[in-house]
Amino acid sequence: MSETALQPCAPRVVAPPRTPRKRYRRSAYARRRGRSGLAFVTPFMVIFTLFMIAPLGYAIYQSLYTTKLIGGTRYSGFANYSTVLESGDFWNGVIRVIIFGGIQIPVMLAIAFFFATIFDLGVAKWGGLFRAVYFIPFAVPIVVSSLMWGFLLDPAYGPFNRLFSAFGFQNFNWLSPNLMLPSIIIIAIWEWTGYNAIILYTALKSVPRDVIEAAILDDTPLWKIILRIKLPLVRPAIIMLVFINTIGAMQLFIEPTILNNYSAGVVTDTWTPVIDIYTTSISNGEYQLGAAMAVVLAVVIIAISVASLAFRNRRREFG
Amino acid sequence: MSAPTLAPPAQPPVRPAAETRRERKRRERLEQRDAVIPVELYGLRRGTVTALTTCCVLFALFILAPVAWVIINSTKTQANIFESFGFWFASPFEFFHTFANLFRDIDGDGTYSTWFVNTVLYSVVGGVGATVLAALGGYGFARFEFRGSKVFFGIVIAGLLVPITLVAVPLYLAYAKVHLINSIWGMILPSMVTPVGLYLMRTYVELSIPRELTDAARIDGASELRIFFRIALPLMVPGLMTVLLLSVAGTWNNYILPLIIFSNNTLFPVTVGMGLWSQHAGNSGDQNLYPLIVMSGLVTIIPMVALFALLQRYWRGGLLLGSVAN
Repeated sequence: MSETALQPCAPRVVAPPRTPRKRYRRSAYARRRGRSGLAFVTPFMVIFTLFMIAPLGYAIYQSLYTTKLIGGTRYSGFANYSTVLESGDFWNGVIRVIIFGGIQIPVMLAIAFFFATIFDLGVAKWGGLFRAVYFIPFAVPIVVSSLMWGFLLDPAYGPFNRLFSAFGFQNFNWLSPNLMLPSIIIIAIWEWTGYNAIILYTALKSVPRDVIEAAILDDTPLWKIILRIKLPLVRPAIIMLVFINTIGAMQLFIEPTILNNYSAGVVTDTWTPVIDIYTTSISNGEYQLGAAMAVVLAVVIIAISVASLAFRNRRREFG
Repeated sequence: MSAPTLAPPAQPPVRPAAETRRERKRRERLEQRDAVIPVELYGLRRGTVTALTTCCVLFALFILAPVAWVIINSTKTQANIFESFGFWFASPFEFFHTFANLFRDIDGDGTYSTWFVNTVLYSVVGGVGATVLAALGGYGFARFEFRGSKVFFGIVIAGLLVPITLVAVPLYLAYAKVHLINSIWGMILPSMVTPVGLYLMRTYVELSIPRELTDAARIDGASELRIFFRIALPLMVPGLMTVLLLSVAGTWNNYILPLIIFSNNTLFPVTVGMGLWSQHAGNSGDQNLYPLIVMSGLVTIIPMVALFALLQRYWRGGLLLGSVAN
């Protein structure tokens, strides 16, 4: 490409001396465009670096140190990490959120897909109204929805318990140690089904109409159209939702913290990993240990994401 | 600049300029009708539609139950919230009395009206900032190749996987060093970081702004900034609205970051304030915090629900963007 082919308004061709080991010559035009591109992304990258990369780097740095009453802060290598890795409480929390996500996400996606299909096919009345209603919880802050559900599920006064005792289930405690997690699963389904259903609905809408018409002409039964044609075509959307929901589920924090105010003592300081991180670093002031926990949890989340990505790619190769 | 005037965007769906609201509604309804395959064609049995509609109604009841509970119980006294049946009214009617208490510091935890103003400030400034940064950055990554552009974008995508709550604790440590604890900027600036927003905007630019359009403008001698503001930005509006709504909602709902970085209760957003109330409500004696909690819940959700309902047209299409580019 010639140096001057595409230079509309005589730019300042004072290209700053770039790195000497250039592998190929870039035209002045390309360089100028590159600089514009860089200018566009710089504001985002600066804030992103300051408030995301830097804190993460700082957490990793902190996690390698230990503060003792005698001796002050010292480099301690991976001591904090071995404390975390050997902490049964921390891993119990991790297992708890994995169970939580493992139940909540498939159930919610199934419900969301069910309603998205109904809306897409138009086989129920007032679809637009229901879509709007189902989306309401997305606009409710999780703190507020946890508070509302806390009132509804309250073991002594909640209306749900009254209904239950009317049917003979006396002293049914939704917020007892055994039922806390199932209750939170119900709350999470309340919060997120609408959002997921709308995304699936939009994805289903983009399935080409002639494909479906052809299937109808072939007398394909409806359930086959849904499961064999539509479901595979919206798989990218489903995979994206699994990702988003998994990352969210692993960070379970607000619901148990708020519900604990209704049923004190059920949610321990190590109930979920994020609660554990919060109590360790903020309440107990052991930042370095908390930072190590945060890094370990991030690694767990990234490992799960990458594993599911690898799974997806393998499926794609063979299927 | 003497560039010849540009032709209008390469005719995306032509729309009559002066389309009234009613005409638009009508057109949309017709388009929607044509897009749906008539139910009869699926060969469904009679009654299926009724059965499925019933399913929808049942789930709608599940969704609306807490909302109805909040509306009903915002009119009750503390005793009635617990003693009377939750899904029906009970006298005395205390709505206005409780509402007035939102403007007072009842038990020393702080005043709801202050928290509400804070929340609006953080969400609007944070949300607008996030949208501007995401729009510039998304356009930059979609339309330019420069040294490191692939690497930078890769890092941003990796940022999608990093849970925000994990950044909160290290941020607190860093803030302690640079005196950003109990500063509103400590809340607003991190709210401007939305890897999801950037990703959505990049996808949106790639899908909805024809390359020929920007290239043509460039050949005509328009500067990059002019191309961005005059050509790209108007075409990006639906995507921008989606990112704006999602980031405003994200900040509005944020709990853990403000919980960690604010100790001064005049800076709290509503989420932290309400969390504190619910912690104290059980042992607050005769300060009657429960009606306040219910009322503040109602007042907190109304603006967001209204915003999402009003702007439905804009965000509905945008939510899916993340998945189509793969």
